[in-house]
Amino acid sequence: MDNTVVVSTPPHVKSKRTTRGIMIDVCIALLPCAVAGCVFFGWQALLIILASVFACVATEFVYFFIQNKGFSHKCADAKAVCRRFIRQFDFTSVVTGLILALILPTTDKWYEVFYEVMIGGIFSIAVVKMLFGGTGKNLVNPAAAGRVFMFISFSLTTYVACNFGYVGDSGSLETGATNLSVLLGSNPTSAESLLDLFLGSGVKGCIGETCALAILVGYVYLSVRQVIKWWQPLMFLAIFGFAAVFMSGFGFESGYKFDMSLYLPHILSAGVLFAAVFMFTDYVTSPKNVWAQMVYITISALVLAILRYLTGIEVASFVILFMNLFVPLIDKYILPRPFGYVKTKRAKEGK
Amino acid sequence: MKAVKGKYYFGGIHPRGNKYAASAAIEVLPEPEQVAISTLQSAGKPAVPAVKVGQTVKEGEIIARADGNVSSNVFASVSGTVTEIRDAADGNGGEKYIVIKADKKGEKSYLPPLADPEADEIKQRIFDAGIVGLGGAGFPTAVKASPSVPVDTLIVNGAECEPYLTCDHRIMVEKTEEIARGARYIAKAIGVKKIIIGIEANKPDAIEAFERFANIQPVILRKQYPMGGEKQLIYVTTGRKVELGKLPMHVGVVVQNTGTCLAVCEAIENGKPLYERVVTVSGKCVKEPKNLLVKVGTPLSNLVEFCGGEDGTPKKVVAGGPMTGVALADYAMYTHKTTSGLLLLSDKEAAADEPTPCLNCGKCADVCPMHLMPMNTAFYSSAGDFEAAEKYGRASACIECGACEYICPAKRPLIQAIRKTKAALRSAKKPEPVVRDVAGKPLTEIDGKPVEQSAPDYLKANEKEENNG
Repeated sequence: MDNTVVVSTPPHVKSKRTTRGIMIDVCIALLPCAVAGCVFFGWQALLIILASVFACVATEFVYFFIQNKGFSHKCADAKAVCRRFIRQFDFTSVVTGLILALILPTTDKWYEVFYEVMIGGIFSIAVVKMLFGGTGKNLVNPAAAGRVFMFISFSLTTYVACNFGYVGDSGSLETGATNLSVLLGSNPTSAESLLDLFLGSGVKGCIGETCALAILVGYVYLSVRQVIKWWQPLMFLAIFGFAAVFMSGFGFESGYKFDMSLYLPHILSAGVLFAAVFMFTDYVTSPKNVWAQMVYITISALVLAILRYLTGIEVASFVILFMNLFVPLIDKYILPRPFGYVKTKRAKEGK
Repeated sequence: MKAVKGKYYFGGIHPRGNKYAASAAIEVLPEPEQVAISTLQSAGKPAVPAVKVGQTVKEGEIIARADGNVSSNVFASVSGTVTEIRDAADGNGGEKYIVIKADKKGEKSYLPPLADPEADEIKQRIFDAGIVGLGGAGFPTAVKASPSVPVDTLIVNGAECEPYLTCDHRIMVEKTEEIARGARYIAKAIGVKKIIIGIEANKPDAIEAFERFANIQPVILRKQYPMGGEKQLIYVTTGRKVELGKLPMHVGVVVQNTGTCLAVCEAIENGKPLYERVVTVSGKCVKEPKNLLVKVGTPLSNLVEFCGGEDGTPKKVVAGGPMTGVALADYAMYTHKTTSGLLLLSDKEAAADEPTPCLNCGKCADVCPMHLMPMNTAFYSSAGDFEAAEKYGRASACIECGACEYICPAKRPLIQAIRKTKAALRSAKKPEPVVRDVAGKPLTEIDGKPVEQSAPDYLKANEKEENNG
């Protein structure tokens, strides 16, 4: 026998999936949304996506470089740090960049992309992820935090949801509020038909959020690859739908009405589907065990529905941030019961 | 009896079976020229050597006597001369290796066979024949067969849930009658009528073989790791949950491995003590995967040679199963009573990845068969806070099956963290005296009167405030 035998603790066979593999799966699942966004919103959307991903990856690289003392005297050290970066690169910043781009609306002032989107990407990665400890240690979702940062820092009027039209159109930008204002106003109805909402044609919204079909394709891919738990987005949307229909019933002028025909429009409007599939199921910022995850999803769905009604704007990112801050608390108190654990009076007092 | 399906169990992983040697009939490994038999062949204390250097022993003669109840007799597996009694390399607690040079005479010295024994005679014979649990843990069967509370079921563990291992499968198919008789002897010893055998669904020939016995109930287990774990097996076959910290006999069940039943049958009917067992040699890096009948103390290189030698350089050599076995650095080791397999794993099969940061994905908690939180244990133990690791991760209930580390995408060393926590909790120091003087030294007397070193209640209340605040 060679001397190259490895001696380590058991288990000696392990499953083949790695963090990098999971993140690449998420990127693949986000591709249909990105493609749909570019089709509906034109080349500006593509620019935003590329700029965001570039900013996030570059920020991670620069942070890693500085952290590993790449700026030393010898040039060879810098090359070694670059090689080390590529070896440990686990695509999490690519996912953050993609998600951040997909929850932004397009803009006709395309030059703003170069500083607004990039600053948002730099904030997401450098402040929210790397300063807290890197992969797996961020307290809040970096894409949602970056989105909120851009919402607050740059002027609000630029970022009203808009629909640029199909690629090849004469290209006039229509700004306008999303379907929400009609859904949540008085006498709620849906301004767009269900088919339009499902396919995303002619719907005003952020880049990746309008085409429900693309998001569903991504959801099916992630469930089949066992990256997310298939029941989590369904549970979220079910609870959210009921709560949203309940809340918007207050808007009817002819008295309160629980109108179930608003169920699907509520789910398909304004970015809830995207958040349910990609952001509330994020590993790092959601609780660790099944029961805690159920509690987290239930409370998030209720809070999102109520807050959306009270404010009248798209608040998914804010709710994500808000609930992420509660996750350590939920994790601490909701633990699974070990197999064979017997609840005795002493155990209740002691533990 | 007709086989029934076991209950569904949450948790567990589904690794590839890779049972390369499943259809290889048991072959007898030729006697080695020299065996080195360890005196620590079971859980508990090592046995005390009962032979001297230069003494001639026959096959089956006792060479080391058990030291107390939780220990087992050790027998010579070949006839020959004792050449050396040396201390084990890391022998803490007196483990020794007794080296016997074989003289190829093949003279046997067995115990007298018993015909229709009583329960006490069976228990005595189990102890005398040095029978231990052959599933891997090696707990002395005589202790398990003498439960201190009344029991009503005997469960025979034929699950063999670990990948690659097929030794139990082969003996279930080839020695069905002996296993059934052995199970009946053990059932008589512990005083039960109901015998259940749990077999995984990937062994249909074994299930069929056991269906023809009228008083043994085969239960089909889902192909899931670790269905062969004691607590999981008891739940799936009978629906009873063993409390944390308690033993299976407290729910009225005794679990024994099929190999153990076979050894009991041979010990009673032929008087043959336990000195040889079936070992699976498998993995991609061995030319012909086989199941071999191996004598205790055989050098591992003999097994590899008999199977055609290495087929390419193995990345890992594992004694036992791939999920709980021990990785070896070379072949200079000898088989024990509890060695169930020798695996030569190739580059593609073996896992040796660098750990990356924890993703908080929660997959480890999803697959844990005891429904624990391994990521919490790893997180807190890496910070040195072992009480919190126990409180949030419950490492003390862990059965160390390895399912969590198998599924972890970040390849974190979770089992190491759990073992570290268990060791730290076991060796927790006695609490320091609480009453100290100004310099920080414990006070022993005030004004000539001795001081009680236990803290009065108000100090305890203050400590609690400090911890909560």
